[in-house]
Amino acid sequence: MAGFSQTFDILASGLRAQATRLRHVSENIANTDTPGYRGKTVSFMPDYRPDVPEGSVRTGQVQLDQSTLPRIYDPAHPMANADGYYDGSNVNLMLELADAREAQRSYEASLKMFEQTRRMSSAIMEILKR
Amino acid sequence: MDIKSTLAHRAYSETFAPKPQTKESKEADFTQIAQSFAETVQRGEAQAKAALTTQADPHALVTALAETKLAVDTAVTVRDKVVEAYQEILRMQV
Repeated sequence: MAGFSQTFDILASGLRAQATRLRHVSENIANTDTPGYRGKTVSFMPDYRPDVPEGSVRTGQVQLDQSTLPRIYDPAHPMANADGYYDGSNVNLMLELADAREAQRSYEASLKMFEQTRRMSSAIMEILKR
Repeated sequence: MDIKSTLAHRAYSETFAPKPQTKESKEADFTQIAQSFAETVQRGEAQAKAALTTQADPHALVTALAETKLAVDTAVTVRDKVVEAYQEILRMQV
């Protein structure tokens, strides 16, 4: 049964990675209007730690979006400079929503595989019961 | 040096014949299986406890519970099979 439990572990690592990705996406969406906020992106990489099965995935370091912050004109804003401009956040809402949807789809795919593995393992047990 | 077919046969059987399992090694095998089963169940319980006190993430809980279910299913099926075989022997006409 080692194969099945390793499959479970690998799928769980995928689910965890997608959950982390979704967390950063929601951070970005929550901070859309925060002045000076840079969007966060997280990369996925293979997990080579010895205590996880080969083929697991983990999230890498969080990186900040380095594109220039938009300058917003609002002289009444407390953070506005002498010219009346302040730096907004560089979060692109459309991109973030697409990213969230992609994370959801990948999560669903992993869940389906989980279900499939469970069905396979109970099917092999059914053979023994006859 | 005369080479006979029996010689080849003997060499083959010495090389590839399954080693006769001693009673101790069989018992050790079974103990190992039982121990790994108990460990899996204990891990599932520990994860469930940790998840209820919001220490572990739900993914670890789901994995541990799925593995526990797999182990329990296997144990139950094997036990049923063994009991069935035992009853079959008991029903034998002597």
